[in-house]
Amino acid sequence: MAVLRLIFVGFFILTIIYGIAALYSRSVRKAKLAQEWDTEIQQGDRDAFIREGLREYSGSFRRKLLFGIYIVPVLVILTIIYITNFVN
Amino acid sequence: MRYIKWVFIIVFWTIVLTFLHYTLPQKDVVRIVNTYEERQDLADWTRIFWSVPDDQSETLINRDVQFIQAIRPNGKNMVYRNEDTGWNWPPYFKFDTADLYTDANDMISTKDNPVWVSVTHYGWRNRFLSVFPNAISMKQVEGPDARVIPWVSIIILIILFAIFWAIRVRWRRFRRARIDPILQDAGETWDGVDQRYTETRGKFGRWLDSWRSKPKN
Repeated sequence: MAVLRLIFVGFFILTIIYGIAALYSRSVRKAKLAQEWDTEIQQGDRDAFIREGLREYSGSFRRKLLFGIYIVPVLVILTIIYITNFVN
Repeated sequence: MRYIKWVFIIVFWTIVLTFLHYTLPQKDVVRIVNTYEERQDLADWTRIFWSVPDDQSETLINRDVQFIQAIRPNGKNMVYRNEDTGWNWPPYFKFDTADLYTDANDMISTKDNPVWVSVTHYGWRNRFLSVFPNAISMKQVEGPDARVIPWVSIIILIILFAIFWAIRVRWRRFRRARIDPILQDAGETWDGVDQRYTETRGKFGRWLDSWRSKPKN
């Protein structure tokens, strides 16, 4: 079944992309928090500040936007199917 | 070494651009003159230029393929194949081959009373390999010099370039921050080893020399 192959291969590739994007996004956030502490706060526990910031990030809407990596391709495929087959 | 690098770069980009040129949709303005079906052999390597429309055909060694014959405004001919791409590559998800065939037959026109049609397709026409572009959709246009803009290809190319650029910028930043210092470190370490060796060799050499028989006088 070609459709099953598409689903499995697509899911596999998107999962790799999601993993890389998630790690990258988290590291960028971490670097920003560290910079914020170094330039503005400079008092208290630096590690605790970063840990707290990352915990906030974990529940944030921005992080959930990464699920778009799964959602957008599905929407694109549905749009292409509609345009190719049902629009003249 | 520099030549090898350039050959590698040129081959890489040639493959990428060839792939994009084959896969991305293009639009021709043509006049459709006929449609036909012909049994095609699928047993040789040119199989890659035919679609895999359904499950059974993967093991078939030949099958009927629909074709659409057309004339371009400059009088030259063009023949399209009309096949489902299904869920396979390239991702056009075309399942309406029979509908497109019907539309194509509906738009057949004569030289005296022409109907001009914009045919969206991907692929190449090659006479030696009997390769045909696959028609995806068609739409009637006003005349032979109607302006059709390939928006889809433009948007896809822009998105691809944006992704390529985003990765490239981040990779360069990563290399500057993480890899270059290590290489530099390694270089400095090596310089240190080199220098130490020279110094040690000096001491050791002097010690060795101390055992050599001294010139007697």
